[in-house]
Amino acid sequence: MRRYRRPWTFYALLALFVGYVAALYGPMLCIYVLSFQDVRGGLVFPMKGLSVHWFVDLFTQVRTGDVKGSFDRSIKLALMVMAITVVVSFLAGLGFRRRFRGDGVVFYAMIGSLVAPGLVLGIGIGLMFQFLGIQPSWTTSALGAQLSWTLPFGVLVMFAVMSRFDRRWEEAARDLGATRWQTVRLVVLPILLPGLIGVALFGFTLSYDEFARTLQTAGSLNTLPLEIWSMTLNVTSPSLYALGTVTTAISFLIIALCLGVIIHLQRRRAARADMGNVAGTEGPTP
Amino acid sequence: MSPATAGDVRLVDISKSYDGVPAVEAVTLEVPAGAYCCFLGPSGCGKTTILRMIAGHENPTAGEIRIGGKNVVGLSPSARRTAMMFQSYALFPHLTVRDNIAFALRVRGVSRAERHRAADQMLEKVRLTELAGRLPGQLSGGQQQRVALARAAITEPLVLLLDEPLSALDEQLRVQMRQELRRMQRELGITFIHVTHSQQEAIALADMVVVMAKGRIRQAGSAREIYDAPRDRYVAEFLGGQNVLHYEIDKVNGASVLLKGPEARSIEVPLNGHAGKLALVAGAPIDVAVRRDDIQLRRPGTAGLPGTTALSARVKAVEYQGYFVKVLLDAGSADELVAYVSERDFFRETLDVGDAVLATWKNDLSRLLVLGDG
Amino acid sequence: MREGAATRFAGLHRFASWLSITPLVLVLVPFFVVPMLAVVAASFMESDGFGGIIPHPTLDNYKELFTSGLTLNLYLSTLKFTILTWIFTFLIGFGVAYFLAFHVKSPLLSTSLFLVCTIPFWTSNVIRMISWIPLLGQQGLVNMVLTGSGLIHQPLKFLLFSDFSVVVAYVHQLTIFMIVPIYSSLARVDKRVVEAALDSGASNWDVLRLVILPLAKSGIALGSVFVTSIVMGDFFVVKVMSGGNSGSIVAALFENISVLQYPTAAAQAVVLMLVVLLIATIILRAVDVRREIAR
Repeated sequence: MRRYRRPWTFYALLALFVGYVAALYGPMLCIYVLSFQDVRGGLVFPMKGLSVHWFVDLFTQVRTGDVKGSFDRSIKLALMVMAITVVVSFLAGLGFRRRFRGDGVVFYAMIGSLVAPGLVLGIGIGLMFQFLGIQPSWTTSALGAQLSWTLPFGVLVMFAVMSRFDRRWEEAARDLGATRWQTVRLVVLPILLPGLIGVALFGFTLSYDEFARTLQTAGSLNTLPLEIWSMTLNVTSPSLYALGTVTTAISFLIIALCLGVIIHLQRRRAARADMGNVAGTEGPTP
Repeated sequence: MSPATAGDVRLVDISKSYDGVPAVEAVTLEVPAGAYCCFLGPSGCGKTTILRMIAGHENPTAGEIRIGGKNVVGLSPSARRTAMMFQSYALFPHLTVRDNIAFALRVRGVSRAERHRAADQMLEKVRLTELAGRLPGQLSGGQQQRVALARAAITEPLVLLLDEPLSALDEQLRVQMRQELRRMQRELGITFIHVTHSQQEAIALADMVVVMAKGRIRQAGSAREIYDAPRDRYVAEFLGGQNVLHYEIDKVNGASVLLKGPEARSIEVPLNGHAGKLALVAGAPIDVAVRRDDIQLRRPGTAGLPGTTALSARVKAVEYQGYFVKVLLDAGSADELVAYVSERDFFRETLDVGDAVLATWKNDLSRLLVLGDG
Repeated sequence: MREGAATRFAGLHRFASWLSITPLVLVLVPFFVVPMLAVVAASFMESDGFGGIIPHPTLDNYKELFTSGLTLNLYLSTLKFTILTWIFTFLIGFGVAYFLAFHVKSPLLSTSLFLVCTIPFWTSNVIRMISWIPLLGQQGLVNMVLTGSGLIHQPLKFLLFSDFSVVVAYVHQLTIFMIVPIYSSLARVDKRVVEAALDSGASNWDVLRLVILPLAKSGIALGSVFVTSIVMGDFFVVKVMSGGNSGSIVAALFENISVLQYPTAAAQAVVLMLVVLLIATIILRAVDVRREIAR
């Protein structure tokens, strides 16, 4: 009766899973907790007091570095990267559906861009800008460097989403008289919308947290991860932890927002996922 | 152009190859307006390719397609006044039933109020009015099919093309929905071209059946013609219900021809107009078809009746099929010989495996088959 | 004319594909292809000592690199971390992916738990790395718990600023890269295949070895490529978590950048990328990755 009694492997793997999740979230929780210390707080446990002192300190203290500014820049940059990533990934995802000359080259270039060490790429971009005599800045060189990181992710997500997109929907639209543009607007985009939101999520969060490539290409003004980095090197107070808490809270907010929208869309769409519209001719489900 | 011929479909020497591999070869066919036409054949025979070419989703490599007398090759599907019902329906998952049906009107710029009205009318025709606000994912297979039909028909096409519409349904539903399709076709009055691999479906539905194999048409005609008078061995075997026997031509005997069989047996088969068309060379091989339900089984040793052929055979297997019993016989040759005996007749005098019988049939009921190319 | 219509459509479609790909190419070329070429080019040039580059072709940079003992040490050290990280991320990652794919029955729960694992990936990795410090330090939480409960008498020194902490940080950060591709490979395995194998008498271990592992091969390969290339290319985790005790290839590279020795750094970069490429190619040889992804 294997079915009714779980094997020992289940419990072993369950323990592994729980341990993994605990190790995954645990350390971060420590940081969040420690950031709520009061003015006596140090960098390690035990915790001293409970206040939002360090959060205030973070944003008001004059220090070498510019938390508010870099925070501001990070958000703006992330939004730009998100928008561009969605549009370009969508188009590229559509383009890759058919084989065309050079599709292998573009694909491997994308993978290469993903796998290349961030710092090296950053250096290369910096060199390139130097050769061209253009000053690197967070709106140009950093934007491009981050796109070289987010676009491969976006396109890979589009691949996964497209593989579940039935081309017969497009054919049906065409059959009913829709022009190519109408097909994209009325059929392709709405159906792919959850996937596109996923790409947007990737685009935003990957940009928001991007560090290695941005390090060499941001120019004179820092983004938030760079700011965090310089604080890490000179860490003396829990204000660094406070920063960690704030930035993670932002990330969680964005994630929750996007996931919420996706779930809402999915709920509205499919009450039963296995009837009729599955590509192919599967018979009645067993 | 009179409205009566506006929906007729003419395929003129149509061919289609993919990368040099032919999928459809030199097909010529005429489907009268308002007919229910079924393309029948196994997968890969080219029937779906032809359907898609008529629809405008594929382009022929050569040949013309005429709808209502006009050559439509190169025209978009909506320009040629065809509409297609896709296998697995391809209903837009993000639109309600009503919006799915109204889609064709929406892309033509029809106002919301008007297109909803037209969609509601369509919904009444397919009897799905209460489901107007549902999403496709919430419908059963049969309901989805009706929505797909309505969606295609709202554009008032001249020809409706159906790509294996019943394949995704289970047995009982399939039989039910067949009637729906037939009813809709009569009501709409337009030409239906329906692709299927089920011969039962084809002969139940169609005014005209087109049997295909390997990219070519083997036979086109009414259901009765195809079933009762198959042209060649392939059609006979595909439609089922026929025995196909191999013989050699002996000599012509007036209005019939004598054939030599294995073990020096001789049978007589009426020429039935094949006289001018077949090469009746002595010694040439030829196929003969005899319907399974035309074979009467008698006791061995019974006197032969004039105008009938009798073969001694042994019962190989007996299969109860409800209202008839399928008896497989071994008549000494490699050909499969099957008799459908009515249930009541069978149980009057049951037969067991191993029993010797005489398989008899009236000569008039046997037919010569053209030797197809396999 | 009919022929023309057919080929015209095909041509149109191909053109549309190219048009769709153009924006992607417009980003990849200036921000990946050209910079890489710039790095390769710079590696063959001389430095003027002040951050400028003299376009005078030379192999000196490479000569220095290959004759320096430091290079070998750095590679060995980085390779050591790479292998250790790979082993642990594989074991943990496979275990978690297996659990989610086979032991969690409801697909909804499976997907939700999977998401729970991926969410931290979308937060800052620098923060996640330093979050180990208050845990592992001599006055950190772990030591406090261990000494407080009497299990040990002296705080464990090796927990932080050591090889151990480096590997912990890597594994913490990178296991997700193993989980994602392996989970998606395993999720596509037909459970009935496993049942059939068990029915025919195979032990659980056999099933794992002969049925599941081969089917998860592409996921494992993909994950391995990600993990190895990230560790080989990392510069800050090692620096911070080892407390400066260990270096890494890219950290040395970074130092050269800081003193504006671009050509030397470029040469180091080129050699590193060749090594990473070699490792990735070896891993991917067994599997057609594009088919897996684009399925």
